[in-house]
Amino acid sequence: MKQRLLYILLGMVLFTACDHDLDLKPFDKLSPENAFNTEKDLQLYANSFYLILPDGSDIVRGDALSDYLVGRTPSNYIYGSFGPTQATGWSWSNLRKVNYFLEHAGQAQIPAEALEHYLGLARFFRAWFYFDKVKQFGDVPWYGKTLDVDDPDLYKPRDPRTLVMDSVLADLDYACAHLRDAKDNSASQVTRWVALAFKSRVCLFEGTFRRYQPQLGLAGTADRWLDEAIAAAEELIQSNKYQLLTSGDADKNYRNLFTNETPNSTEVMLAAVNSKSLRVFNDANWYWTSATYGGRYSFIKKFINTYLKTDGTPFTAQPGYNNIPFVEEVKGRDLRLRQSIRMGDYTRDGVIAPPDFTYTYTGYMPIKLTLDAKATDGVAENYNSLPLIRYAEVLLNYAEAKAERGTFTSADWEATIARLRQRAGITSAPFPTTADTYLQQSYFPGISDPVLLEIRRERGIELCLEGFRYDDLKRWRAGKLLENQYDGMYVPALNTLMDLNEDGRMDVSFVESIPAEKVPGVYYFLIDNVQFRLTGGNSGNLVLFDNLQRKYEDYKYFYPIPYNEIVLNSNLEQNPGWTD
Amino acid sequence: MNMHNCTNMCLRYMLGILLLVLPAVLYGQTQRKVRGLVTNDRGEALIGVNVRVKGGNTGAITGENGRYQLVVPGNDATLVFSFVGFAPQEVPVGNRNIIDIQLQSTARDLEGLVVVGYGTQKKINLTGAVDQVGSEVFENRPLTNVTRGLQGVIPNLNIRMTDGKPTRSADYNVRGTTSIGAGGSALILIDGVPGDPNLVNPNDIASVTVLKDAAAAAIYGARGTFGVILITTKSPAKDKTVVNYTGNFSMNERTIKPKFVTNGYQWAKTFDEAYSSWNDYAAHAQKVNSVFPFSLDYLDELKRRNEDPSLPKVDINPANGEYVYYGNTDWMKELYADFNPSMEHNLSVSGSSRNVGYYLSGRYMSQKGIFRYNPDNFKTYNLRARGSVQAFPWLKIENDLSFTQTDYFYPILNHPNNTPVWRRVSDEAFPIAMLRNPDGTLTQNASIVFGSFISGNNQSELNRIQVRNTSRFRASLFRNKVHLNGDFTFWKLNDVETRIYTPVPYSKQPGVMLERGESKLNENDDKTTYLAANLYAEYEHTYRKHFFKAMAGYNYENSLLKSRYVQRDGIINTALPDFSLTNGLNYTLRGGGNEWRTIGGFFRLNYNYDERYLLEVNGRYDGTSKFPQTQQWGFFPSASAGWRVSREKFWTISPKAVSDVKLRASYGTLGNGNVQPYQFLETMSVNRLARVINGIRPDYTQQPNVIPNGLTWEKATTLNLGTDLAFLDNRLTTTFDWYVRRTKDMFTDGLPLPSVFGATEPKGNYADLETRGWELSIGWRNRSKGRNAFSYDLRLVLSDNQSVITRFNNPLGLINTYYEGMKVGDIWGFVTEGYFKDQHEIDTRGIDQSFIRVSAANKLLPGDIKFMDLDGDSAITEGAGTLADPGDRRVIGNTSPRYQFGLSSNMEWKGFFLSVFFQGVGKRDFWPGTDNSLFWGPYNRPYSWQPVDVVTNMWSEENPDAYFPRLRGYTALNSRAELRVPQTRYLQNVAYIRLKNLSIGYNLPASLISRAGMSNVRVYLTGQNLWTWTPMYRHVKTMDPEVIEGADPELASGAGNGMSYPMLKTYTFGINVTFK
Repeated sequence: MKQRLLYILLGMVLFTACDHDLDLKPFDKLSPENAFNTEKDLQLYANSFYLILPDGSDIVRGDALSDYLVGRTPSNYIYGSFGPTQATGWSWSNLRKVNYFLEHAGQAQIPAEALEHYLGLARFFRAWFYFDKVKQFGDVPWYGKTLDVDDPDLYKPRDPRTLVMDSVLADLDYACAHLRDAKDNSASQVTRWVALAFKSRVCLFEGTFRRYQPQLGLAGTADRWLDEAIAAAEELIQSNKYQLLTSGDADKNYRNLFTNETPNSTEVMLAAVNSKSLRVFNDANWYWTSATYGGRYSFIKKFINTYLKTDGTPFTAQPGYNNIPFVEEVKGRDLRLRQSIRMGDYTRDGVIAPPDFTYTYTGYMPIKLTLDAKATDGVAENYNSLPLIRYAEVLLNYAEAKAERGTFTSADWEATIARLRQRAGITSAPFPTTADTYLQQSYFPGISDPVLLEIRRERGIELCLEGFRYDDLKRWRAGKLLENQYDGMYVPALNTLMDLNEDGRMDVSFVESIPAEKVPGVYYFLIDNVQFRLTGGNSGNLVLFDNLQRKYEDYKYFYPIPYNEIVLNSNLEQNPGWTD
Repeated sequence: MNMHNCTNMCLRYMLGILLLVLPAVLYGQTQRKVRGLVTNDRGEALIGVNVRVKGGNTGAITGENGRYQLVVPGNDATLVFSFVGFAPQEVPVGNRNIIDIQLQSTARDLEGLVVVGYGTQKKINLTGAVDQVGSEVFENRPLTNVTRGLQGVIPNLNIRMTDGKPTRSADYNVRGTTSIGAGGSALILIDGVPGDPNLVNPNDIASVTVLKDAAAAAIYGARGTFGVILITTKSPAKDKTVVNYTGNFSMNERTIKPKFVTNGYQWAKTFDEAYSSWNDYAAHAQKVNSVFPFSLDYLDELKRRNEDPSLPKVDINPANGEYVYYGNTDWMKELYADFNPSMEHNLSVSGSSRNVGYYLSGRYMSQKGIFRYNPDNFKTYNLRARGSVQAFPWLKIENDLSFTQTDYFYPILNHPNNTPVWRRVSDEAFPIAMLRNPDGTLTQNASIVFGSFISGNNQSELNRIQVRNTSRFRASLFRNKVHLNGDFTFWKLNDVETRIYTPVPYSKQPGVMLERGESKLNENDDKTTYLAANLYAEYEHTYRKHFFKAMAGYNYENSLLKSRYVQRDGIINTALPDFSLTNGLNYTLRGGGNEWRTIGGFFRLNYNYDERYLLEVNGRYDGTSKFPQTQQWGFFPSASAGWRVSREKFWTISPKAVSDVKLRASYGTLGNGNVQPYQFLETMSVNRLARVINGIRPDYTQQPNVIPNGLTWEKATTLNLGTDLAFLDNRLTTTFDWYVRRTKDMFTDGLPLPSVFGATEPKGNYADLETRGWELSIGWRNRSKGRNAFSYDLRLVLSDNQSVITRFNNPLGLINTYYEGMKVGDIWGFVTEGYFKDQHEIDTRGIDQSFIRVSAANKLLPGDIKFMDLDGDSAITEGAGTLADPGDRRVIGNTSPRYQFGLSSNMEWKGFFLSVFFQGVGKRDFWPGTDNSLFWGPYNRPYSWQPVDVVTNMWSEENPDAYFPRLRGYTALNSRAELRVPQTRYLQNVAYIRLKNLSIGYNLPASLISRAGMSNVRVYLTGQNLWTWTPMYRHVKTMDPEVIEGADPELASGAGNGMSYPMLKTYTFGINVTFK
């Protein structure tokens, strides 16, 4: 009995410990073997590509470095010391994401059309990735594969711009050829049409960059890129899938493109979609309506001057245009102005809201991307969707590429710039025949083509704050504009109360010293003659921060490669002009 | 059999005798005299032992020769022998007239048994580094968990309790830094099976043993690499029924109650100065942080109202109809209650008769939290049922079932980042702001800070349930030469945390209510199922003076964790937060979990000759699922030896002077199995996209982590040298161990690759570490002679360790990561030279200090900090951040705690007892860090707290020697700012000494309690954490020296040092009643 009982006891212990398999696999994660087999699998992976796109809050910050905004402190790229040790942006995980997909998607046994669509999607995003890199750094190494730890290519030098951009173009051509072409009315997915629009952006950039940055020695190849831009835009325009949004109130339809929760897919082709119910937000109100959280950015007067009058004539054509008080100056202008800054009868939560000098420096306080309700002012909970690609840009791309090629006709003018101006309430938009002197003198001294000047004016106004400006300055070789004097509104006299929106209440007073007796509701703006002064001493245009010397030298067109990367890979050559 | 063998045997004989004499109890009832001799287990007479008749009121004390004499009422009387430091014994008188008895000393005694892996061993025969404490460390003090009770009692068992939260536990670190790669803390076993010590009833614990070196822990193989903690629970009482009740009631308060400025005007003036000084005195704040309007006009008005207290504290701004506040609010007073109560009840019934034994216990402990509104509430329930049957003379079967439930209710903020309340209070609770509006509604600031506590329904509800059962048998075979042991454990742990968020109502103007925050519900449900089985056999043989013992066995463990996370927003009715009553569009449902398995075969061989030469060899062959197929198995051997010099013939020193001398040495290598499962597989997790695509937030997956080729185990090799010494008849005992532990092939980051790689560099076996340390215990025990003897003991434990990186992939010698030769915990910083005295000095010093920012425009003024130009380049910089060029930085301190100590003493006199326990750290540096408003006050954020210690010690022309420099806000916050950069002057010494426990009690005389049928009644008063001192308090007394490590980890650990649940000071009244 003793023996039997022992056997039973031993058996019990050993039986409970029966499973001796030590190869345990995770049960809550996929592995490369089972993640690429069906179309649904590819879709699941492809969703991660959308993380490559900027989100709403990125768009909000897109123009922080631009010639037309002044903020609390200038970007350290143009002010103070900036060098390779401060550089960022040399990150490559998004490329690995795409290349890994391209290497594994073939595992799926699905119809060729479906597979090609997903390959096209991946290549669209690879083009997006490389376009960003090239814009930032110029030459970069091209990798069409994922890298192993011991791959010698980790240490290769940069590839020439031509190789990289040709590869980008090949990716875009593949995407345009294979992406599905059903229009996406949610403006949140990449389709063939989105790829065409993006191609026009990339090719216009590359064509003009090569033309205006002659030190590259690629000016001769610019036309080919401009032609590609024209072709892509033309196909999209002729498809008639998208139009400018012109329905509704002419005072509002432009801004509605930025303040609606649901992107208007009449014009918006791809957006960073935000949603209150899904709690996906951007922080536009907090960024633009806070003294500390955002950069306190405002437009400078030099840019506001470019907005035409509603009759189509330049504001700057009138004598003394710099000495017009704010209230008068903003009247009768391109309707996009009142949809881009606080002025006139602008209200928030039903209360009239003049420019608030707690947040603005110049008086031209942006509202283009923000909501009028105050509810989201102090929190990152803006639910308005912000466009990444919209049809208006395609028209501008088309116009500019054609103008650069010298093939721009008056019919093209009617189909592009004139339409944008019509929407902006400009009653007369004739084909320009004389160069605008203000634009030429203040902005683009090297350009004499009246059409090209007007196209650039239009692009600046139409796309302001949407993150295009610095790229445009680079490709036009107009980086010097970043040294613009920061000027603000005209101040007729010191120590005078001013009503900026004609509501009968005084809003601001520019003073030499803060008075003891203050009028409630008035902001007293101290003219200390260090940070802030007036051009005429006791009156004139506000000038801000001209004690801070900003510098944009030519070498800054190419951002420095981060110091650490050059240490890690001695074959990487630093962009010229940058020293540690 | 030699005389030192198993004390078990003695016990067994004694119990046998008891059984034999029991029937005799039935006879004879006449009063008569009984006498006898009381000795210790070495046969030496014990003086002053208390002998009394159980249930009666007669008693005696042994005299100088250890003899006693007393009158007993009859044969059925029972004598109770008790003596401090020895286990009390009860002996039925029977018909004997002479009763001699040997008392067994308690666990920490030299001769005691020590629990080791898969068995026990006499302490004198130990060759490894092993330490053990008994149940006394948990007695007379209420503990929310076992971990808190173990802090400081065992040298080099390093437990850091980082705050006072009742649920707070800690890693059990043995002997310092283990691995900077895979990491690893000690393996904790409860009655031989891994478990969570915090789910054990502290009253059930008989002993806690720590196996520190490789030789002692080797039997547990890869799981015991960095030490083993063995918790042994109480066994059934022998041959009697014992009922014990312990109850205590406590009041708790914060150990530190920082003094902050609460006068609104004073606070606002300092705020304004802090703000404008950062802005070079050119600007004043328009808001105090995010919502509270501020201006110089407001400050003037505040001054007026401060000078005339009859003016109202709340007004209405005519421009917008909103409230304007002029408060003097003491927010800490609003946040915390003055005291919070707790209580504990524990009942155990234990006994045995013939072949059956049982132990039943139940415990309830509750602690109400420190908050004034909606306070946290901790409750824990323990139940244990243990029974054994001697089924046959050769077979014993035992079952041990325990159940534990812990509930913790914890109020939280309605804030997307789960910020801990302290951080929000430091950012938004200004004295000038107020808690409530005149109509009783909450203000906007109140809604941000802890309005959610007041409005309710913003809380975490944690519920943890454990059911655990172990069945075991022990068979004695081959005439007791071989013992076969088997056990099987089933353990189920269910952890559910529900968090409820409902918007907080507040008001900014009369009659208009607003809401802040989200409405949502989430629940995290983790279920762990664990199985373990052990089977092992022991063989023991003694031949003359040769003793031989062998043990071999098999171990199997399997653990499966299944998780579920559910979240949905849109609670329909805030009073009914339940998933059935939510209707939001955002819901998350996630699963997850992991499984691992280990299998091991192990053996141990012991040999000793005359208990003079001791030898032990251990080995384990281990397999684990946590490693790739080719690396799953490993063999880990170790060996240790001892020499008891005092048993040599040549040793002629009297035991009265030197009683015992033993030298020990051990060496062994163990693999580190303390790694997370699946680290070696390419995995692709699926998550919800933070973007909206076609109207939904779809799921996505992406490229897997990159895994390296050819991974292998981390290995830790320990050399241990130790000695045990006893002096003065064993009254003074010391144990000293020195060790070096080399952790090789640590699983750390590889060589940095160019970023074009596009993924995190795969980790690999790339680093080595060496830890050296020592530990010392000194015990002293004595008693005075005579009838009212005073007995006492003292124990000091002291330990130290230091770790140095001996290999790391850092060819550039960057100092912001590990590098070869680095001492773990080193702080690099600048050297503070003093303050700039005047403008002249600033203009003429000739050292460019612009790298360090003092203000927005970076304009130096007198009272700003002057840094030393260490590298002589006339500029203060961080250089290249490498060892070759660290700029003007050097190692200024080290964060590792050194010289950790515990000092305890027990005293007893005529039934009174006093016990004292001090615990502390001898050396440790602490950089207060960024966003630490407790330390920096307005130097951090201008609107932060203003500790009185700080604002009364700021530089000014009148006070040029103040501890803090010119007041400038943001300088402890903004990058590269003057107080943000670590530097010598503000490096804090956070060594500390703390009176962890002080108990005074009285054992009621037997004559008083026996009538009520009780055998022992003890009442006591205990204080915990009563007194603390740290050199940091010379400057700022706002932080507890233990609560300095980050913020509440369950919420947002990065919210700033010290933003955690306060450490508590506890005052307890307790009673302990035993019926036998």
